[in-house]
Amino acid sequence: MSSLLELRDLSVHYRTARGEVTAVRSVSLGLAAGQTLGLAGESGCGKSTVAMSVLRLLPRTARVEGQVLLDGEDVRGMSWGRLRAVRWAAASVVFQGAMHALNPVHRVGEQIAEPMRLHGVTGSVSALLDQVELPARAARAYPHELSGGQKQRVMIAMALACEPRLVVADEPTTALDVVVQAQVLDVLKRLVSERGIGLVMISHDLSVLASTCDRLAVMRHGQVVEEGPAREVITSPTHPHTQALAAAFPTVGDPASRQVTPSEGAGGPVLLRASDLHVSFGATKAVAGVDLEVRAGEIVALVGQSGSGKTTLARTLLGLRKPTSGRVLFEGRELPRSASGLRAYRRQVQLVLQDPTSALNPRHSVYEAVAEGLRIHRVDGDESARVAEALSQAELRPPELFFPSLPHELSGGQRQRVVIAGALALGPRLLVADEPVASLDASVRGEILALLLRLRRELGLAALVITHDLGLAWTIADRVAVMYRGELVEQGTVEQVLLSPRHDYTRTLLAAVPHAQRSTRPNWTSSP
Amino acid sequence: MIRHLAGKVGGALVSLLFVVALGFLLFRVIPGDPVVAMTRGRPVTGDQLAELRARLGVDKPLTEQFADYLAAAVRGDFGTSYVYSRPVLELIGERLWPTVLLTGTSTVLAVVIGLWLGIRGAWRRGSRSDRISTGLALAQWAMPTFWLGMLLSLATGDLFPSGGMRYPDTPSDFVSQAVDVAHHMVLPCLTMIAVVYAQYLLVMRSSLLEEMHADYLTTARAKGLRDDLVRRRHAVPNALLPTVTLVFLHLGLVVSGAITVETVFSWPGLGLLTYEALTGPDLPLLQGTFVVLAGAVIAMNVVADLLYRVLDPRVRAS
Amino acid sequence: MTAIAWQRRRAAARATWREFASQRGGLVGLIGLAVITVLAVLAPLVTDASGLDVTRVTARPWEPPSASHWLGTDHNGRSVLLLTWWGTRISLVVGLAATVLSVLIGTVVGIAAAHFGGWVSAVLMRFTDFFLVLPSLVLAIALSTVLPRGLGTIVLAIGVTSWPATARLVRAQTLAVEARPFIERARALGGGHGHVIGRHVLPAVLPLVFVNTTLTVASAIVAESTLSFLGLGDPTRVSWGSLLHAANMHGAVSQRAWWFLVPPGLGVVCVVLAFTLCGRALETVLNPRLKGER
Repeated sequence: MSSLLELRDLSVHYRTARGEVTAVRSVSLGLAAGQTLGLAGESGCGKSTVAMSVLRLLPRTARVEGQVLLDGEDVRGMSWGRLRAVRWAAASVVFQGAMHALNPVHRVGEQIAEPMRLHGVTGSVSALLDQVELPARAARAYPHELSGGQKQRVMIAMALACEPRLVVADEPTTALDVVVQAQVLDVLKRLVSERGIGLVMISHDLSVLASTCDRLAVMRHGQVVEEGPAREVITSPTHPHTQALAAAFPTVGDPASRQVTPSEGAGGPVLLRASDLHVSFGATKAVAGVDLEVRAGEIVALVGQSGSGKTTLARTLLGLRKPTSGRVLFEGRELPRSASGLRAYRRQVQLVLQDPTSALNPRHSVYEAVAEGLRIHRVDGDESARVAEALSQAELRPPELFFPSLPHELSGGQRQRVVIAGALALGPRLLVADEPVASLDASVRGEILALLLRLRRELGLAALVITHDLGLAWTIADRVAVMYRGELVEQGTVEQVLLSPRHDYTRTLLAAVPHAQRSTRPNWTSSP
Repeated sequence: MIRHLAGKVGGALVSLLFVVALGFLLFRVIPGDPVVAMTRGRPVTGDQLAELRARLGVDKPLTEQFADYLAAAVRGDFGTSYVYSRPVLELIGERLWPTVLLTGTSTVLAVVIGLWLGIRGAWRRGSRSDRISTGLALAQWAMPTFWLGMLLSLATGDLFPSGGMRYPDTPSDFVSQAVDVAHHMVLPCLTMIAVVYAQYLLVMRSSLLEEMHADYLTTARAKGLRDDLVRRRHAVPNALLPTVTLVFLHLGLVVSGAITVETVFSWPGLGLLTYEALTGPDLPLLQGTFVVLAGAVIAMNVVADLLYRVLDPRVRAS
Repeated sequence: MTAIAWQRRRAAARATWREFASQRGGLVGLIGLAVITVLAVLAPLVTDASGLDVTRVTARPWEPPSASHWLGTDHNGRSVLLLTWWGTRISLVVGLAATVLSVLIGTVVGIAAAHFGGWVSAVLMRFTDFFLVLPSLVLAIALSTVLPRGLGTIVLAIGVTSWPATARLVRAQTLAVEARPFIERARALGGGHGHVIGRHVLPAVLPLVFVNTTLTVASAIVAESTLSFLGLGDPTRVSWGSLLHAANMHGAVSQRAWWFLVPPGLGVVCVVLAFTLCGRALETVLNPRLKGER
C-alpha cells in the first residue's frame, strides 16, 4: 500500500511565556490514496495542530519533530519554493469556520480561481461550484452574501480547485445546522469517492466521523489513544476516553442511552404556559403563534434549527423580551410587566446559558457569581451558607474550595455548574436551559445532563431545554416540542415524536442526524 | 446606493445646519454683548458702539437676530468683517485656494508616506526599522505643529522663504509663479506632513496588526501564495478599510494643523484668516471661518463614507 | 469574603504592574512623568518667583546661554530656564483638568448611549458623531475667543471639545460588554440598570477609560500649547504655549534665538511623549483585544 500521507513519530511543541508546551506527542498515522481517515478528539487535544503540520502552516512559535511524508517526500525538508508548489496542488485544506477562512473583500469566484492561476491549473470555477451543488452565479458573491452551508461548500470547491490527491478537512461542519451538516457531508463523501481523493477529516463529533470515514483515530492530550476501522472503534471502543466520546452522542431510539422512565415527569400541575404567543422584530416574525406548557417537575425539550425562533421564545418566556401578542402565564397568572414584578418572577424561573465561559463575568469569583442573584434580590440570611448550598447542589464539593476561584481557573464543566448554582441559589421552580451542553466537551456533557436529571429528582425542578440536538432530547426529556420557522410543528412525548414522527420537518431533522449503526435506527421511514 | 447617498447628504445638511446654529450660539449668545467682546481693550466712543451694534444687528431681540442670521446664512451672507470692512464670504473665497493647495498636497503626501511605513512596520513587527519608524512617529505626534515649523525655519536659515506665498517681484508668467509658490510651500508643507503622517502610520500599523492573525491569511498561505502576495492581495485590502475611516475622522487634525502652520509661515489661507480674526477679535469673520472649516470637514466625511462603501463589499450590500 | 477579594485585587494589581514594568517604553514614560511632576511641584520652593516679573529683571534681553543664565534670556531679559520650569505647572494643570472634564463627559455619554438603547441612544449618538466630526481646535478657538481669558476658559474650551473620542470608545466597549452573555444572565437573575452598569459594565470599561485618560492628557497638553500659542491663553500666567507665543510675536526666529524656542517646545514633547508611552504600555496590558482573548 503506497502511502499518500504518512506521519512518523510527529511531535509539535509550542513556545509560550510559561515555557514549552507539547501539543502533539509522537503521533504516527498513515493514509493511502482514496482512503478516508477520521481524527477525533476534544478541543485542545492537538488534532488541529496535526492538520496544520501537513502543509507546514504552524505558527513560528511551533517546534516540530518527526516526519511528515507527503507522497514520500518530507514536508519539513522542503525549500520554500517547493513547499509553495506543493501547497494546494498536492494537498489542500478545508478550514474550520468558513466564515473567517474566506477573505471578506474578494468575490468567492476570485478566491477559488486564485490557486488555479497560481499553480497553472486549467479548470472552470463554475464546474467546481456545480460539483458542490452551487449555482455558477455564486462565484460573483462576496462571502457575507452566502449562508454558512454555502460558504462551507465554497471552501470545499476551493480545496478541489487544483485537483489535489489529499484533502484535510478541519471540523468542516461544526458551525452548521444538522440538516445543512448532512448536506455538506454528503457532498464531501461523494467527491472523495468519485475522485479517489485521500481525506483526513477532523472532528470532535464521533458520529460525524463514523458516517464518513473508513478508519478512525482518537486523540487525547496530543496522543493517539485508539485507532482502527471506524465501525470497530464506535461499536466496541476499548479506551475509556473513546467510550466517553461515543456515549456523548447517543443514538435516537437506543434504549440504552435514554435516561428517564416515562412515568417520572408526568402529572404535575402546569407551571408555565404560553398561549398564542407572537414575537416580531419589525417585519420578521420570530415566534408566530406558539402554545406550549411546562408542568412542575417535567423536562421539556424545545428542538429546532438555528433561526427557528427557539431562543427568542425562551427569552420571551423569561420576560426578557416583550411579546408582540399572546400571553405567558406562570401558575395561571400572567407575567407581570412592572420592573419589580418581573424581578419577583425571576426567583421562580431561571436561565442557564449555552456557553458558561461567556456567561460568567471573568472578573467575578465563583462566590460573587453565585451570590449575585441573592444580592440583587436582597435575600436575608446567611449568604455564604446559601452559596455553599447552591454549589454543593451543583456538585461542586467542597464548595468553600471554589469560593475564590475565577472562571478561567475552572474547566468548562465546572463553569457550567457555577452557572447552574447561581440559578439554584434563588430556589427557582423552573430552569430554562439554552443549549446547556453545546459548548462543552463531549466527555462532560453526560455529567451536566445527569445533574439536570438529579435536580429534577431531588428538588422537583422543572426544565425547558432548548437544543438542536435530537440525541440530547432523547437522553433526558419527557416531552419534545419541535419548532420550525416560529411555529411548533409537533409536540408530544419523546417516544411519540422521535420514534414515530408525524411532521415532515421532524423527519428531515431525524434523517440528518449522522448515524454509524444503521441497524439501531428507528423504523419510522415507512410511517405515514 | 442612491437612497443611501441621499440619506448621507441629508444627514450632512442637518449637521451643517447645526454648525450654522452653533455659530450663532458661540458668537452671538455666549459672549453676552458681542460688541463689548470685540472692542475689549480699545478706546471706543458710545456712538461707535451704537453704530457697530446696529451694523451687526445685535440691538434686536435674540430670536429675531437668529431668524435674520439664518436667512442670511442660507443666502451665503455671513456679514461684514469688522477689521477688513469687506464681506466675510469674499475674504474666505480669496483665502480658500491657498489652504486647499497646502493641505491637499501635504495630506496626500502624508497618507502615502504614512500608509507605506505603517504597512512595512506591521509586516515586520518588532524589527529594528519598525521600532525606529514607530518611535519617530510617536515623537512627531507629540510635537506641537507650530513649534516644529519654527524650528524648521530656524534650522534652514535663508534656504527657504520664511513667510508668505510668493515674492512680489516674481515675473508673472506661469512657470516662474509656480516655482515661486512651490519654493514658499516647502517649509509649511514639510511641517504639516511631519505631524500628520505619524497619525496615519500608527493607524495603518495597528489595523494591519489586527488582521495579521486572521484565518483567511492562513488560507492564502495554504494556497501557496508568496509572502508579499499574501500581504498585498489579502491583508492590506482588509486593513485599509478601518484606516480610511480613521484618516477622514482625523481631518480635524489637518484643519488645526493648517491654522497653526499658516500662522507661523504667514501662508495667506483660511488658517491665517482665522488667526487674524481671533486676534481682532473680528467675530463675524471668525464665525464665517468656523462655519466654512466645520462644513468642509463634514463634507469630507460624506466623501469618506461613500469611499468606504466602494471599498467594503460588506457595507455595500446592506 | 472581602479579605479574599482584596487579596485577589492586590495580586491582580501586582500582575498588572509586572506586565507594565516589563515594557521599556512605558517605564521610561512613567519615570519621565514622575520627574516632571516633582519638578513642577518643587518650582516655588527651589526657585525665586520674582524672576518672572518683567519689572525686576537685571539681565539684558536675548542673551544666549551662559553660566549665569543656562538657557539664556527672553525678549524681556528673563531667564528662559526659570520660565520653562514654571511653565510646566500651568501646562500640567490645564492638561489634567481638561482631561478630567473631557473623560467624565465622554464616559457618561458613552455608557448612556450604549446601555439605554432606543431614542436616548440615537440622540446621544447623533450628538457625539456631530461633535466628533467638528474640528475640535476650531471650536476651542471660538470658545476661548468669546469667553473671558483665563485658566477656566481654556480648561473648558479643551474639555468640552475633546470628549467625543472618549464617548465613542466607551460606547463601543459598553456595547461589546453588553453583548456578552453574562449581562443576559445578570438580567435573568433580576438585575436592573444600576446593577448591570455598576457591577458589570463599569468595571469592564474603566481600564479602557484609564488608558484613554493618559492619551487624552497628551492631546490636551498639545491643545493648551496651541491655544496659548495663538494668544488665547491666560495672559497673566506663564505656560509653554504662551512662551512660544511670545517667541513668535517678538521674532525669536529672525533673532536666531534658538534658546528661547527649543526649551518650551521640548517640554511639551517630553510630557506628551511620556503620557503617550505610558498610555500605550497600559493599553497593551489592559486592553483585552490587544492581549488576545483568554
